[in-house]
Amino acid sequence: MHLGLDDDELVACVACGLCLPHCPTFVITGRDTESPRGRIALMRAVQNEGAPVTDDLIRSMETCVQCRGCETACPSAVPFGHLMEGTRAALAGAGRITPRWQRLALRTLRHRRLLLAGSTLLALAIRLRLVPTKRLGLPARMPLRRPPLRTSGDDVWLFTGCVMDAWQRDVHLAVQRVLEAAGAGVEPTGGAAPCCGALHIHAGLEAETKAMARRVMDGLSGDDRPILVDAAGCGASLKDYGHLLGTDEARAFSARVFDVHEWLAERLVELRSRRPVDPLDVTVAVQDPCHLRHVQRAHQAVPAVLAPFVADVVALDDDGLCCGAGGAYSVMEAELSRAIRDRKTAAVARSGATVVASANPGCSLHLAAAGLDVRHPLELVDQALSASRS
Amino acid sequence: MARTLADATRRVLGSRRRGDRAAAVPGADDTDAALVADLVEAIGADRVRADAAARYLASRDASIYKEGNAGPVCYPGSTSDVVECVKVATRHARAVSPRGAGTGLAGGAAPLGQPVVLSMTRMDRLLEIDLDNGVAWVQPGMVNLDLSRALAPHGVHYAPDPSSQAACTIGGNVANNSGGPHCLAYGVTSAHVLAVEVVMSDASVVTLGDLTAEPAGYDLRGAFVGSEGMCGIATAVAVRLTRNPPAVRTMLLSFDDVSDAATTVSAIIAAGIVPAAIEMMDQRCVTAVEDFAQAGYPRDAAAVLLVEVDGPAGGVAIAGERVADIARRNQAISVRTAADDDERARLWKGRKSAFGAVANVMPDYYLHDTVVPRTRLVEVLERIYEIVDRHDLIVLNVFHAGDGNLHPILAYDSRVPGTGERVQAAGREIIEMSLDMGGALTGEHGIGVEKREYMNRMFSAVDLDQQSRLRASFDPHCRMNPGKVLPSAHSCSDIGALRASDAAGVWG
Repeated sequence: MHLGLDDDELVACVACGLCLPHCPTFVITGRDTESPRGRIALMRAVQNEGAPVTDDLIRSMETCVQCRGCETACPSAVPFGHLMEGTRAALAGAGRITPRWQRLALRTLRHRRLLLAGSTLLALAIRLRLVPTKRLGLPARMPLRRPPLRTSGDDVWLFTGCVMDAWQRDVHLAVQRVLEAAGAGVEPTGGAAPCCGALHIHAGLEAETKAMARRVMDGLSGDDRPILVDAAGCGASLKDYGHLLGTDEARAFSARVFDVHEWLAERLVELRSRRPVDPLDVTVAVQDPCHLRHVQRAHQAVPAVLAPFVADVVALDDDGLCCGAGGAYSVMEAELSRAIRDRKTAAVARSGATVVASANPGCSLHLAAAGLDVRHPLELVDQALSASRS
Repeated sequence: MARTLADATRRVLGSRRRGDRAAAVPGADDTDAALVADLVEAIGADRVRADAAARYLASRDASIYKEGNAGPVCYPGSTSDVVECVKVATRHARAVSPRGAGTGLAGGAAPLGQPVVLSMTRMDRLLEIDLDNGVAWVQPGMVNLDLSRALAPHGVHYAPDPSSQAACTIGGNVANNSGGPHCLAYGVTSAHVLAVEVVMSDASVVTLGDLTAEPAGYDLRGAFVGSEGMCGIATAVAVRLTRNPPAVRTMLLSFDDVSDAATTVSAIIAAGIVPAAIEMMDQRCVTAVEDFAQAGYPRDAAAVLLVEVDGPAGGVAIAGERVADIARRNQAISVRTAADDDERARLWKGRKSAFGAVANVMPDYYLHDTVVPRTRLVEVLERIYEIVDRHDLIVLNVFHAGDGNLHPILAYDSRVPGTGERVQAAGREIIEMSLDMGGALTGEHGIGVEKREYMNRMFSAVDLDQQSRLRASFDPHCRMNPGKVLPSAHSCSDIGALRASDAAGVWG
């Protein structure tokens, strides 16, 4: 089976093994089949040596969280993310991964009204204790009503996305208040850009993702406003449109995308100059979402933005190892996902922090389900700002 | 509705999990069904894999040797698991090959003849720290750097630091008697291993060496360290703890000419200074690593030396000045001292990612590990460049200059027809030349399979017979990692333990 992978990208791995300690699934299982180096060797075996696509080989690909921690560890800059996305696209195309029910579930993310209504139903079901939230890794409580999105100006877009808007709109509103405090007029993207397609590309649904990317680009065309993103996974996905679609238009679009912390870190003076702020009396551990640290490589902006607003910011000592959330991974590979999370919760415990700041909704839901007090970094900033306001 | 929803969820998740379990059970078409069943019976289904994907990956390490052929792969969790695996393998007349992180560069972990592979990655715990005696017991699957990190709060570390230390395991280090940049001053693995618990080929468990300064009797521990898995399987290792130096100075010396750098190395040692490390990289290597490490290595220098001195602060300052002085006298174009721990860490990150960064230049590499007299470094380097040019290849030089341990990396693209032959030919010439200069075949990477046939060049038939007999005294039936180190004529008894590989390989 030809996986359609770029041969130069595929041969770039010299099998040195320096990725191994940065791969969450290898660290947990100790098995080469669950390592980046091993997965690449298997891709090569299939594409170049004609090895059969066995169920075990597929498991090896399915167990990858796609955190891309291996990419930042790789001295030869092997683009593992592309290789894995390509492999999954080929396997999904052949009907070997991503079953029908999963494709259907992912399809709803494009339909904003359906998603919002469905989420309200789900929230109701959770209130009535009709859903095994713990087992499914769902939040123990979800909002029944969402305050409306509002536009305060046209300096920047705030990308609101799909599930996050439905489940965590409070976060968007807090982020918007912080951006406004820094002097920016904000327009939430809402229905103009329903979903970035990150979960779809992870599941190997390439054609669908491309269509969604075009839809998002259409919705946000017409000006060069920066597009700010408060979900690391969505940010990484939007920044990759240039590569995904391979057009100048897409590359220009991707260049407009910033993680919201990345953008704010350049404007800390404005943010702090309005009025004196009392830092919140909490010690915060910063959890680096993989798609902020390993893909966007913008994670250092989070502690920079957060530090002036809380008593203490501590780094975790786990080299930014993934938390195991991985979008739909926490549902699809629940057992591995939880084993990976256990390492993260242990690192948080060692840090002595009482609050965890996470700039990605998937990570934050996953960690909260383990009983941690998780906030978006800008929720904490917003809290500190509004406390000083009163 | 509640029940329905929860049930539906369970069905979806549950069916998936059942699917997983089915996949984990060894394939029914496997010819090793009885062996696998016994292994599963002995150590549990979740510790055994016999599918093609697992065997394919267990068949290789970081070397270019791709002819390994693994049987079932076991992931023991304890010494007794290892004992059970050895017993089962023996019952089925099969050999056993241990495996750490698979970062070896000589094919030492590439299993020959479908042995039972013992992947030691699950035995990765630090068992005991004894600060009073400066010893720690660790399991063999523990990663080298994880050990030093775990020791850091106590102000001590494990000194041997192979470039792959972020990934390689202590067990693999023991098997290869691994070195590393800091072994110049601190000594190689053998100097840091006090005792080893070993599962022997007859499944007995013995402890070689002990924690006293002068153990009585023959130094069996010494014979075991560096035996490449052929004398038994290490299941616990007592390592020496080294106090962290009170002061460290790391310097980057740049040169316009490779031979000036080489002369500087000899001059430093001749001046009576013993730095903790002296590493050399040539321009091509610097360029490859700088892309990744962003450590500020000068891309325009012909060669750089990374020199580290450590010890009491006063001595470090003096030694640092003297090194800088010697470098300048030998035409160094710049002398930079790392300002802080962060800068030092980045410089070392660059040096230690050198092998992995080769694909920035070419997708494949073949490297040798010869040791030459330090005084002949200049001459040897010139010869290497000459050999490589003649074969129309590219070489990246990165090596432990302080002890003359070369790592010429021949970088090439195996997709180009005929390249493999040129690489082999150039490699052979480099080895012949190194030995002619009074050097040795390997400094720290081991012989494995790749360098096996060169042993005849280094040792006489009598030497090799003695080595074979030493090995046989540990493992009379040649069941432990057979086929390695000794050239085929001297390891005939191994052949009995090797099953003829099926032509179809693991995917059969």
